[in-house]
Amino acid sequence: MIRNYFKIAFRNILKNKGIYSINIIGLSFGLATCLLILLFILDESSYDKFNQKADDIVRVVFKANVGGEQISEAVVMPPVAQTLESEFPEVIDAVRLRKMNDPKFTYNNKHFRDFEFAYIDSGFLEVFDFDIIKGDSANPLENPNSIIISQDQANLYFGTEDPIGKNLSFEEGDKQFTVTAVFQEISKKSHFEFDVFASMNGYEYANSTSWVNSDFHTYLLLKDGSKYKELEAKLPTIINKYMGPQIREALGVSYSKFKDENEVGLFLQPLTAIHLNPGFVSSGDLKPGMDVKYLYIFGAVALFMLLIACINFMNLATAAASKRAKEVGIRKALGSKQNQLIKQFLIESFIATIIAVVLAGLLVFLFLPTFNQLAGKAFEIKDLLQFSIVILTLILIFIVTVLAGGYPAFYLSSIQPILVLKSKFTTSGKSNLRNGLVIFQFVISAGLILAIIIVYQQLAFIQNKDLGYNKDHILVIRDAQLIGEQRQSFINQVLEDPKVKSITNSSFLPAGETDVSMSGVLLGDEYQRRMFIYNVDEYYIPTLKLKLLEGRNFSKEFGAEQDKVIINETASKSLGFYEDPIGKTFTQDTNEGGQLLTVIGVVKDFHFKSLHRKIEPLILKHNPYGGVIIRTNTADVSSLLTSIESKWQKINIKQPFSYTFLNESFDNTYLKEKKMRDILSVFTGLTILVACMGLFGLVTFAAERRVREIGIRKVLGSSVPEIIGLLSKDFIKLILVSFVIAFPLGYFLMEQWLQDFAYRIEINWWVFLFAAFITTLIAFGTIVLKSFKAAIANPVKSLRTE
Amino acid sequence: MLLELNHIYKWVKSGGRRVFLLNDLSLKIDEGEFLSLMGPSGSGKSTLLNVISMLDAFEEGEYYFDSEAVHDLSSKRKTGIFNENIGFIFQAYHLLDDLTVYENIETPLLYKKIKSSERKALVADMLDRFNIVGKKDLFPHQLSGGQQQLVGIARALIIKPKLILADEPTGNLNSAQSDDIMGLFKKLNQEGVTIIQATHSESNAGYGTRIVNLLDGSINKN
Repeated sequence: MIRNYFKIAFRNILKNKGIYSINIIGLSFGLATCLLILLFILDESSYDKFNQKADDIVRVVFKANVGGEQISEAVVMPPVAQTLESEFPEVIDAVRLRKMNDPKFTYNNKHFRDFEFAYIDSGFLEVFDFDIIKGDSANPLENPNSIIISQDQANLYFGTEDPIGKNLSFEEGDKQFTVTAVFQEISKKSHFEFDVFASMNGYEYANSTSWVNSDFHTYLLLKDGSKYKELEAKLPTIINKYMGPQIREALGVSYSKFKDENEVGLFLQPLTAIHLNPGFVSSGDLKPGMDVKYLYIFGAVALFMLLIACINFMNLATAAASKRAKEVGIRKALGSKQNQLIKQFLIESFIATIIAVVLAGLLVFLFLPTFNQLAGKAFEIKDLLQFSIVILTLILIFIVTVLAGGYPAFYLSSIQPILVLKSKFTTSGKSNLRNGLVIFQFVISAGLILAIIIVYQQLAFIQNKDLGYNKDHILVIRDAQLIGEQRQSFINQVLEDPKVKSITNSSFLPAGETDVSMSGVLLGDEYQRRMFIYNVDEYYIPTLKLKLLEGRNFSKEFGAEQDKVIINETASKSLGFYEDPIGKTFTQDTNEGGQLLTVIGVVKDFHFKSLHRKIEPLILKHNPYGGVIIRTNTADVSSLLTSIESKWQKINIKQPFSYTFLNESFDNTYLKEKKMRDILSVFTGLTILVACMGLFGLVTFAAERRVREIGIRKVLGSSVPEIIGLLSKDFIKLILVSFVIAFPLGYFLMEQWLQDFAYRIEINWWVFLFAAFITTLIAFGTIVLKSFKAAIANPVKSLRTE
Repeated sequence: MLLELNHIYKWVKSGGRRVFLLNDLSLKIDEGEFLSLMGPSGSGKSTLLNVISMLDAFEEGEYYFDSEAVHDLSSKRKTGIFNENIGFIFQAYHLLDDLTVYENIETPLLYKKIKSSERKALVADMLDRFNIVGKKDLFPHQLSGGQQQLVGIARALIIKPKLILADEPTGNLNSAQSDDIMGLFKKLNQEGVTIIQATHSESNAGYGTRIVNLLDGSINKN
């Protein structure tokens, strides 16, 4: 019997090739999308889970609201680890990591850079999983000057030599490190990736008892089964006890008074949640994370697509019902029971699903490289064989089989045979269920089109936003701080090139790699808030094309200007300098006790952080050092680069010449959004394609069912456009209804997304009009494609069948 | 007695009035009869066959099949009786288009869950008996109308029914094919199968043992 079911199912599928190719191709798109997105989601949500103790590790983070400034940092103060370990028995181990930016090694007169370097407590290797493949595996970081390096770095520095015991000179001879062990590269699926770890024992800052400066990533290993939330609830007492006294010392106010106006706290974050909650981009995230929100969006798109494909299946089945009903009637008259018919229909949809799964596998195989490129991943086909994906695929096969085959199985099999035998069973063209499902499909399609338009708009908005500075034609020379005394002569030489417009000497940039400096600011005796400090020279404002609103720029004419500052509008407001800020003074809180600063100018606010963040107060101080930033006259800089490089080599510093362009760094800031836009665009396109395939099938049926009516109308003199109108009218109505549902929903969800941007577009009424236009156009095109054929058919043929 | 109908009424409502399809119809049929229902279009021949087959319900009256009171039975039991005892032959043959001759004949056996070896034997026997062994792998559209109806009859007979219901079995056939089919019916009847056929044709009715004339849902004369 079961063989018979399969045989019949195959024949039915072959016979209804048209419908089934729509069904199967749609399903295979849906399933392939699901598989790819599933790979992506599983990958993104498995970060750090390879650590054996992953479930018991938490990270300590710092959140505060001080003087209206929201602070959230993934780094905490140096003594936090030690304190928590001694105060709370459930903390088995507390270890720290201190990342050092732009480290450099020298070995055998060769220079190495562009690797990731951190100091770690020696217990770090116990808490996290490390695979020591050479050298001391017991406690390689015991001695102050010991480092461990990754296999790749070892090969790079030492080639075939044995790395153990070799000395590396750090930061131009600042320190000497001895390699004690080599470790296997850290998994890409870790929230940190370092090439070199040095012993924290030799790092003086690690012994600081300051509860004011945060610089250490701190991880706690908790006792098996203890709840981190319970520990977190006890942390405020620690703040009171240790931070309180230092606040008074540092800020001159009592801790209780400080607490009345501000919030400060330590919080815990499970290790496995770090990657999906990247809230610390500007202060401490070791690697860009993936906002869990995006995973939900991708997951929803994949499910929508699968759902649309299933709906095609159901809709085409209802439309084909009158054809299948005859078969059901005969079979029942021959003695078939309902459950036997149910089985038969389900087996048919099962076979179609299996074919779709095979096709989906093929699609995934073909498009995996494209997807990898789109999503920035390196998946392989064998990744699909993970247990969870296989199980989920099986579940999907089951759900799709039942969902897609459910309608014919349960509805058609209940038809009374007498109705069919009397030829009374006709499916009327109108079915509420089918209409509802078509509306649902177009709610999703129109909603996605709306979303895509808004995402494009927002990203274009960011791209074209008046940033308050000019990011184009800016060339940044890296490592210029290493030039030392020859800096001025180097700058003068470069200035000779006619392609160079101006050069400023600063390491502070509004995008990309930049120095960051913050400092507390007092007005009179009162603590105001922390403000960003830019150390610049007098050429900074013209080179970046900042706009000076009031006062003057720094100038050599005025001699030393260390105590003069230019502030941005936000700083001016937050200091309360509403009228005539020029000449006003305030105090910068420094380790030496404070420096009185006089405002000489105000610049227009410019976006010196990403557009996700509001513009914060900024102070420009005249303190030129470090980097070299060049404004060129033209975008064609290849010859300029060659000439700068030769000058760089002439001054004979050991670092190779390297540079970045400010506009590229700026673009990189929004990579995540662009990635999301691209993925969403591709899958939206596919989703709409699948929905239109279903629509095409439905129009085919409508045309077939009404072939006589069309014939009669044509004989009576109806024109081709009138016939097309007749066939499309019903569908267009449904699509219009879908807008009514899709647009408020889309508006609501896209508002949520836009909340992430401090500077964002407003959703305009014409966006809806545009989305509606596009959707209608696509749907109408599909309908016309089919109904045109029906409309031009010779009516004699269709009427002769009577 | 195989079946007995007592005062059967069947009606549909049209504009608030009852339109009678069967009107106080009583009929007794013995085992071994070959009954021909005659009458003009709309006289209720097909309706009566459908009621006898239990595929269609009636509003009033009593119906005993093999001494079971059909009017009191659940629909499930009715389907059961139908599946066990009755073979239906259609004017439009109603073969399953996607199945071969062999598979069409085999289908009722599949639904009765008969074992594969037994099925083979039964179908082979039937093909033999109707002289269509050579056509067993053809699909319905490759056959002539007469041949299709032969397959339809073979399919109805495969479950060894007590009763064959045939609704205008030769309505789509020419007279030569028609005579062949009627000859076959007569032979089957002589082998002991009870047959009720609805027909317009006097000559076809002549093959039967009894003729019942219907008019407006009632029996006109015996």
